[in-house]
Amino acid sequence: MFGYLQIQKSELLVREYEAYKAVYCGLCKQMGKDYSFLARLSLSYDCTFYAMLLMSLSRGCSGFDKGRCKFNPLKRCSYAHCENESYSKAAAFSVISVYYKLLDDLEDSKFFKRLFVRLIKPFFSHWRKKAAERFPETESKVAEMMQAQREVEHGGSKSLDAAAHPTAQMLADVLAEEGKNDAETRILREFGYQVGRWIYLIDAADDYEDDKKSGCFNPFLNIETDDMKTTVNNTLNQCLARAYDAFQLLDIIDFKGIFNNMLLYGFPSKQNSVIFGQQEVKNDRSI
Amino acid sequence: MTDPYEVLGVSPNAGDDEIKKAYRDLAKKYHPDNYADSPLADLAEQKMKEVNEAYDMINNMRQKGKGTGSAGSTGTSGAYGGSASSSQFYSVRVYIQRNMINEAEQVLNNTPEGNRTAEWYYLMGMCAFRRGWNEEAYNYFQTACNMDPNNQEYRAAINNMNNRRSYNYGGYNTQTNMGGGGCSCCDICTAMMCMECCCDCGRGC
Repeated sequence: MFGYLQIQKSELLVREYEAYKAVYCGLCKQMGKDYSFLARLSLSYDCTFYAMLLMSLSRGCSGFDKGRCKFNPLKRCSYAHCENESYSKAAAFSVISVYYKLLDDLEDSKFFKRLFVRLIKPFFSHWRKKAAERFPETESKVAEMMQAQREVEHGGSKSLDAAAHPTAQMLADVLAEEGKNDAETRILREFGYQVGRWIYLIDAADDYEDDKKSGCFNPFLNIETDDMKTTVNNTLNQCLARAYDAFQLLDIIDFKGIFNNMLLYGFPSKQNSVIFGQQEVKNDRSI
Repeated sequence: MTDPYEVLGVSPNAGDDEIKKAYRDLAKKYHPDNYADSPLADLAEQKMKEVNEAYDMINNMRQKGKGTGSAGSTGTSGAYGGSASSSQFYSVRVYIQRNMINEAEQVLNNTPEGNRTAEWYYLMGMCAFRRGWNEEAYNYFQTACNMDPNNQEYRAAINNMNNRRSYNYGGYNTQTNMGGGGCSCCDICTAMMCMECCCDCGRGC
């Protein structure tokens, strides 16, 4: 369930796009520093979103540095400079969640993929330990989420809400931690809950056809409707609508345009392409 | 108090029209209708209040400076909420209003089958909605509406949900091709205006 939290490049200002890239590269660099060169490969858009939100909430971004990309020495890039541990936190979240995702894959994927997962798992296992030492709360929240998710999937619950709850709750808890006062905590909780719910449900919608064939758990399989696509679309719309309502109450200054772009164009466009197979407005694959 | 210009997000040198526009945009953004039933309704109301105060303050300051000029009347955040107090689930409503969802649900779950009226379903939906369980909430609201089709409150809740479910933020439209850039700002505005009209009528109070 990675990579859904995207921007829509065509609607961004150039300077906003540059800033987004700089956060992406900054996070990549931090992952190399905190873990290893290889850990950088697990970088996702979702974690970039998380890092950017952390930086924005803490007002930690203090400018941009120039540098070169480690993967492509010919490419010059800029890095968003951050005063606090936003990057480290996001990097920890990234390796921890990838580790648990691997565990999950080990249970229900095909032979070759399993082989591959076995191969890379020890690395992530090591990094996860390192991350958990520094951010024990993050690790316990993700672990809790995986446990609850397994219980829901094996418990035979037919409720869509119950299935989406663990992921939503996890993100709600993770973001609520950043609230500086009671009101902000509440807003972040609601925002996190609805975004988490959206991520879980869009991932489920993405896997719908495959799960239908293979008989794997999918919350949408329990729903009886004549027009599946519209139902899924409405359900997802509502998550985004509530997330956006909550977001508007936050006092966001840094990266505001980028967040608006994501909530208003990036996520919906992703949603369209998943549900209706519509051509996404092209983003460059790699930044 | 914070700088009123900062609250409206405009520079102190901005013209009257610009300030008015900024005020209108914010007032639309935080309008209570957007947050009806939301767990964050009180925070939105707070924001609305700040915006109103800032706008009043700027107007007052500018009027003093000029000596003349028409007073920009501000729409104060009207008295929303205020639902029926003569309800058998009065305590539940109070709990929900205070965001004490566990307590509310406890009372509801202890209600014997025979007493589960349309209002019971509506309040169950309310609890689910506050928790973020949108689908369950939707089903409860629908049941409440079916049991008591004439109730304005239940109808408003379901209308609100339907608006959200078909809401196309940022002019993104699922039916048409994105290539053309979707629909314009105007479309959103008109849609908002329509929505607002409908909501007002629907409330009928």
